[in-house]
Amino acid sequence: MDDLLQILLNGLSVGAVYALFALGYTLVFSVLGVINFAHGAIFTLGAYFTYLLIGGGVGSNGLLAGFQLPVALPFWLALPIAGLLSGAVALGVERVAFRPLRKRNADPLLALITSLGAGVILVNLIQLLMGAESHSIPTGSLGSLPAALSFGGARIRTVQVLLLAVSTVLVGLLTAWIDGTRSGKGLQAVSEDPVTAQLLGINSGQMIQIAFGLSGFLAGIAGGLVGLSVSIAGPYFGIGYGIKGLGVLVLGGLGSVPGAVLGGLIIGLAEALVPSDLSGYKDAVAFGFLFLMLLVRPQGLLGKPLPNKV
Amino acid sequence: MAPRRLQRLGPWLALLAAGLGLTACSDPSANQPINLAQGVPVGAVLALTGNANVYGQDQRTGLNLALAAINGSGGINGKPMALRLEDGGSDEPAANAAFTLQINRGVLALVGPTLSQQAFSADPIAQRRGVPVVAPSNTATGIPQIGHFISRVSAQSSVIAPLSIGKALALQPSIKRAAVFFAQDDAYSTAETVIFQKALTAKGLKPVTVQRTQLNDQDFQNQITAALQQKPDLIVLSLQAMDGGNLIRQLRELGYTGMIVVGNGMNTPNIYPICQRYCDGILIAQAYSPELATPANRAFLKAFQANQGGASATPPQLTAQAFTALQVVGEALKRLDAKTPLTTLTVAQARTALMAEILKGQYQTPLGTINFTPEGEVIQKQFFVAQVKMNPDGRAGRFALLP
Repeated sequence: MDDLLQILLNGLSVGAVYALFALGYTLVFSVLGVINFAHGAIFTLGAYFTYLLIGGGVGSNGLLAGFQLPVALPFWLALPIAGLLSGAVALGVERVAFRPLRKRNADPLLALITSLGAGVILVNLIQLLMGAESHSIPTGSLGSLPAALSFGGARIRTVQVLLLAVSTVLVGLLTAWIDGTRSGKGLQAVSEDPVTAQLLGINSGQMIQIAFGLSGFLAGIAGGLVGLSVSIAGPYFGIGYGIKGLGVLVLGGLGSVPGAVLGGLIIGLAEALVPSDLSGYKDAVAFGFLFLMLLVRPQGLLGKPLPNKV
Repeated sequence: MAPRRLQRLGPWLALLAAGLGLTACSDPSANQPINLAQGVPVGAVLALTGNANVYGQDQRTGLNLALAAINGSGGINGKPMALRLEDGGSDEPAANAAFTLQINRGVLALVGPTLSQQAFSADPIAQRRGVPVVAPSNTATGIPQIGHFISRVSAQSSVIAPLSIGKALALQPSIKRAAVFFAQDDAYSTAETVIFQKALTAKGLKPVTVQRTQLNDQDFQNQITAALQQKPDLIVLSLQAMDGGNLIRQLRELGYTGMIVVGNGMNTPNIYPICQRYCDGILIAQAYSPELATPANRAFLKAFQANQGGASATPPQLTAQAFTALQVVGEALKRLDAKTPLTTLTVAQARTALMAEILKGQYQTPLGTINFTPEGEVIQKQFFVAQVKMNPDGRAGRFALLP
């Protein structure tokens, strides 16, 4: 029983990260029908913003070697600010990598490539400024909270409980906003059909910007929390999560917010179910599971089936 | 339609294949005289980006100090050594590309790459092209056996790793249950864990669990909770600095209080920011001691402290080994040039003669007196075991040598 609880906690804690990451992908996909490959870079930026805002110094490499902000904010304050800054960067990515193509009615596939380019440029910019070395958010950033918590006979690190809690709250807020507000419904309308939404008086361009801003905010929050949990392993920190997030996005159903959460938790649990002495193969198991699921249900768990076109 | 297109492509494909074949087989630059316009060309390939950049930074310091020492004492018989450093990243393709680039530039020898995993991929390129390689940090079994142009100044894991197990048992004889972690996709980790596990078994401590990770893993909750269920009182890690540092931090956060022994991959002060206060107490065997009282080490220590943070700074092992690797190349070049002036040799002739010279020599280095077996394996006499002592703020620490 303790083993099952431990597996469940392990799976949920990892799955929460994947879900939070995939939500950002989902928001952009829902309005544009294209994957924003710069999302992983914005996730990485969120971690770096958090690190700098709490007073972390840049290492010995990079143009900003030795740089440190004159203020050191508490983690609780630094995290949302990092989220906002990441959201601003995501808006910039929308402005330079997506909007020009959208205005020219270019094939959505091209936006996929420009977003990939934007992501590569961002990652290299981080490397140029901050150097390639790893940076760590100090272990005492959560104040007097204990390093780990016990539930029954199972143990989990406090930072992972925090990740789970923040993911749950953000998903709840996002769902409430999408379903319960005028702007949220506007986003849904744009995701259904941007042209018709525009004819109905909804500013599609503004809705797309909101989706990008929110997506960047979520990526920034996720990056800051994951950076606290496992350190920032250099500018390429977000790549692994980006690949896993794509898997989650597809498993949950492209463009489905609840699907992203469900997909994240399922992949997290699938990884946790891999026997520990085979855990080096957990990626293969997770993606093998994804492969099998898609054979049975190509639209993903909560995605809509593609209509047959005549 | 498709076969017709293929027919049109045929000559182009043949031309491409021929081009690739020529590139692979011939090396016209090797038959040219050595370009000494900028100095005696030597190359280095280190991991300056990616997960292993934490090692590359230490190594770059060592190379810079060695270059200053060599050129400060007359260079290669009056000619300066011209060292060209290339980033080999932290994976095999980047190391391969950097090796190829350096070889095409006409360097006479290469120092690098940083990781054993990269060496198994990049060293065969140097071997095929006849370029001497002195590895500063490859410790996996089988590196010099790649070929007769490959040597190393980093003693292999089988010599060093068991020392820390012995020290752990001497410090805490009550240890009964050992758990082992290693990265299954890394040549160094897989080679070293075999040595650790043999050493444990030889001491009557068959591992109660062996946990596999991957080099780019960051979250080890699954493996740690499974290992802790076996109630180990010794945990032995064969991991690189980034993943190993993270694993130690997560181990301690999840409540493990027993002893931790780590392998050579964590032999860098760059682990301090990763595991922070949780690094305190880990045991590690070392091939370098700042306290070694030899003229070579005193000079190295003095140069390091003058360049890197004052009289209290102690050089990491990787810095000392990188210094040693370039020192070996420099001294061998001097001897070769004294016997046969470099101006009279082609690049290929110089490379072959230099390899023979490297293997023949005996060197007074910061690591102590070293020389090589005919196969290119380093012969080093003294090794040490250190324990990490972190400062109270948990941000910096030191490797304190154990008696």
